[in-house]
Amino acid sequence: MLEVQHLHAGYGRVPVLHDVSLDVRAGEVVLVLGANGAGKSTLLRTIAGFVKAERGSVRLNGVDITGQPPEENVRRGLRLVLDGHRVFPELSVADNLRLGAAVHRERIDFDTLAGPVLDFFPVLRDKLRSPARDLSGGQQQMLALGQAFVARPAVLLCDEPSLGLARALIAPILEFIRNWARAGVAVLIVEQQIDLALSLADRALVLERGAITLSGSADELKRDPRVQEIYLGVAGAPGAAG
Amino acid sequence: MSRWFGPEGLTERAQLALGSTAIVASVAIPALAGNQYWTHTFHLVNLYVVVAVLQNMLLADAGQVSFGQGAVFGASAYTVGLVSTLHGVSPPLAVVLGVLAGLALGALFALPALRVQGYYLGFVTLSVAMVFPELLVAFSEYTNGVNGIGLPVPVLNAPLVANVTPLSLLVIALACGALAAHVGLRRAQLGRRMRVAAASPEAALTLGFSPGRARSAAFVIAALGTSLAGVLYVPVVGFLSPSAFHVELSIFFFFSVIVGGRGRLLGPIVGVWILYLVPNVLLVDLVNYRLIGYGLVALAIMLLFPDGIVGSIEQSLRRRLQTRSAEVRVDWMMSVPPTAMARSGQSDPDAGRAEPMISVRRVRKSYGALAALNGVNLDVARCTIHGLVGPNGSGKTTLLNVLSGLVRADEGAIDIKGHDTTRRPADDTARLGTGRTFQTPRVFDDLSIWDNVLIGAGLRRADDGRGWLFQALASVEAAWREQRPDTLPHAQRRLLEVLRVVATDADVLLLDEPAAGLSAEERRDFALLLRHLRDALGKTVVLVEHDLDLVWRVADRITVLDAGTIVAEGAPQAIVGDANVRALFTGRPDA
Amino acid sequence: MDELVIILVRGIGLGAVYSLVAMSFNIVHNSSGILNFAQGNMLVLGGLFAFFLLPQEPTVARWLLLLPAAALLYAAVLALQGYVTLLPLRSSVEQHSWLITTLAVSVIIGAVILIAQGPHALSVKSPFANFRLLGTRTPTAYALAALLALGWYAALRWFHARTITGLAMSALAQDLEAARAVGLRVRRLQLYAFAISGAIVGSAGFVAAPVMSISADSGIIYVVNGFIAAVIGGLGSNAGALIGGPLVGVAGMYAAFQYGGQFQNAVSLALLIAVLMLRPEGLFGRARARRV
Repeated sequence: MLEVQHLHAGYGRVPVLHDVSLDVRAGEVVLVLGANGAGKSTLLRTIAGFVKAERGSVRLNGVDITGQPPEENVRRGLRLVLDGHRVFPELSVADNLRLGAAVHRERIDFDTLAGPVLDFFPVLRDKLRSPARDLSGGQQQMLALGQAFVARPAVLLCDEPSLGLARALIAPILEFIRNWARAGVAVLIVEQQIDLALSLADRALVLERGAITLSGSADELKRDPRVQEIYLGVAGAPGAAG
Repeated sequence: MSRWFGPEGLTERAQLALGSTAIVASVAIPALAGNQYWTHTFHLVNLYVVVAVLQNMLLADAGQVSFGQGAVFGASAYTVGLVSTLHGVSPPLAVVLGVLAGLALGALFALPALRVQGYYLGFVTLSVAMVFPELLVAFSEYTNGVNGIGLPVPVLNAPLVANVTPLSLLVIALACGALAAHVGLRRAQLGRRMRVAAASPEAALTLGFSPGRARSAAFVIAALGTSLAGVLYVPVVGFLSPSAFHVELSIFFFFSVIVGGRGRLLGPIVGVWILYLVPNVLLVDLVNYRLIGYGLVALAIMLLFPDGIVGSIEQSLRRRLQTRSAEVRVDWMMSVPPTAMARSGQSDPDAGRAEPMISVRRVRKSYGALAALNGVNLDVARCTIHGLVGPNGSGKTTLLNVLSGLVRADEGAIDIKGHDTTRRPADDTARLGTGRTFQTPRVFDDLSIWDNVLIGAGLRRADDGRGWLFQALASVEAAWREQRPDTLPHAQRRLLEVLRVVATDADVLLLDEPAAGLSAEERRDFALLLRHLRDALGKTVVLVEHDLDLVWRVADRITVLDAGTIVAEGAPQAIVGDANVRALFTGRPDA
Repeated sequence: MDELVIILVRGIGLGAVYSLVAMSFNIVHNSSGILNFAQGNMLVLGGLFAFFLLPQEPTVARWLLLLPAAALLYAAVLALQGYVTLLPLRSSVEQHSWLITTLAVSVIIGAVILIAQGPHALSVKSPFANFRLLGTRTPTAYALAALLALGWYAALRWFHARTITGLAMSALAQDLEAARAVGLRVRRLQLYAFAISGAIVGSAGFVAAPVMSISADSGIIYVVNGFIAAVIGGLGSNAGALIGGPLVGVAGMYAAFQYGGQFQNAVSLALLIAVLMLRPEGLFGRARARRV
């Protein structure tokens, strides 16, 4: 469903991504791991269209969407949930969801669209009329995911959904994403917390300074000691080889 | 390369020569030919050129949007007229008063500029320009209102030799002088500071000067030149009326700068000639159409040639002439001779027990409910490289900002080199001897590479001034003077920023994620550079980094932050083996 | 006493016009950060519309018919201006071109009016008779302008709270990146904002025409006073605009009566400077206006 080939990208003159290729199939959860500054967010932003790729291509169901702005990609079925649980603070939960659904050309009943989200996260139903700024960080993340859900994307990109959240909230959020994938959506997710995320994913790849240095099934990577080394930059540590 | 052409097109010297020639010719030719009409026209045109040159400096170099220069011009002209005719003041005194009046008004614009920016300043100055003629009419009893003031100055208009009057000479001198002043300003430290302040007020502070002061200086200089032109308006036109200083005049000056090319030295000349001569002189019948002319030309230029006429020409010249590519390399920086400080540090056995270079005690900083720094204690020893690491949101950059003085701590104390810098403004702390680099290199594309380095030098009392800098970089100075850094790849821009900080002779270097975007080889070189800075130059380096690889390689001590608190500190070996640290970076509690 | 009533009534009436200009600023500024210098001259164009299309003895029916026409026409005109203004912003290089292009458009409109109609102010007759308010005769246009300002305020509130487009537009002001991620078409919404701002000033110019100064020179006076009204209330806040307008209007009227008409704008300028030095974010604005 999502095919990325030889992607090179950066911000202004600062190069970040070097020759990144990956693919995500429908119903699959692919996890992008990597230390801070490795380029994980940049990868998602480039695929979504926020950052202009210098070289390479992004294909959605065979259609080349490289360089298309994010607004258009949402209409084609590719949706990025930004990091930092960003929702519209002055608007109500309901209005935030309505805006998420605004991409549909035909009118779809609000309850039909948002029902599953509100069922899964009942607190959102309780606070339906409250402005989003009254929600906690975790609840805002739920809302952000819900906002993406009602757009019914075919491909979901998710940037560190667990960042800054209390441990108790992370599990239901990740479960929501897993169920979402099982329903047929291709999910590419970035996460810092290795173990939690690996239990959710089918496959994973490790990004190191903008290039993929390790990839495999989630189980394989869970057992691979090199993953940890990459995170710690241990290759250059005193006493380590190299 | 010749003195007239450089990789950027015509050199400044060539442009100054070209501009001055145009000015002199525009006045001399009609005067010598005995054509009163054209002489008079070009007198006025050149006065307008003076104002436009200064507006250009104010807009492009200092980044200030002023729609009020016409009011400054009018204020000085009217003051001269008023005090001479209605109060019988002698001409020299009248001139002084006129200049003072214009200066006062122009300098006043600096006040709102210190509080708000951009279009706010534009609206304030526009309002002033709008209100100025209204007030002239409102106070008719003092100003003679719409009837105006007639003030011919025959002595200046009496021909000296070959039909050239003293007035012509004065006009030529002022116009050429304005152009030369602009060039001179750009070469001076003040001019560099103005441009840095306009591009990045943060960088200005960390380089040790206040952007507010640089901005105010720009307003004063602009007001001075504009007032002098206003003073000469009196003998040139011989008549003053409020309608001559309508708000439209201020808009004309602004548009002239844009049409000619913002920031281009010759832009104001081209802009004024096109916007004034074409409708007022060449299309005399259609003089009512001149306003439409201004609007349409400005609109067309913004949509089609945003660089303006001169700017577009310069850009295409630049593309064609680009022959050499300047470079910034690590080995040049390593050739900087060691300083006395480093030498003493190495041979002194007590060095390790000396006072810490930086001392942070119980520092707290919150943003609303979020505590970015929660009671941090830290010591950084002299001549060491101290790494500061931690996950996103751990507070590392906030700590660096607090150390530089860009952010003020809510509680706690910071001591740098024995001085309490807790409450000091950032430019003060910079002058003490701290230098800072930013995540995105604050390299100024408007200045040449050499100027980028020079903006750092002269910051402090450095004993041998710029001596060592000139020695070390003598081989590249010429190339760097002529080129701008926008063609440099990222790694070299980073090096340039570090070089600038070294040029400030700062003892403490605060580096914010300097390795971002560097390739493996570039990082190795950078590590070498950091060690050189510590060992040969005696610098103390605090390094905020995501790139743990680099930090393990190069740091003497490492502090690990998480959510605003220090969770570990020590030598790299100890930190790498610390289970808590491993868990923090990999999210694995059992790592 | 009479004089005070006149100052208040006319000040509020004129202030309502400034409030409308301020509201038209707000909607464009909130969605794209642009301040449209040309709003003042667009207001004058609205007055010109009334001048040309209202007969010498206008009827109420005709007036009512032409009011929405004015709004629609200027919605279109401003959408066009918006398109031209937003065009250079596609490339991230010229992020401040709008300062110049909006000013250029303002100058062009003023120049066209000058050429077509000459420098003198035009007068428009109102289909409504003057009415008595607190013992003074007041042109109805002042009351109508006030009603229009309140009407637009309510309409915009409804728009931003109850329609998807309005919600989307207010989302732009809250988090532009998140808006793009959600799939909101930013450029299109920014153009709609321009169009709505046109409807506001077009209708305002039409309604206030009998008491406005319709001439090539007055555009700049309206845009500056409208800006000051917006700043006093807090740039971006329509509630602030409703308060800032009458403040500026009454202060100016007072100055005109006490010292003469030539001082009206000087007083506005003094108000602007006071606000910027003391509280740049205005009454209801967020503290974003302050700088380093």
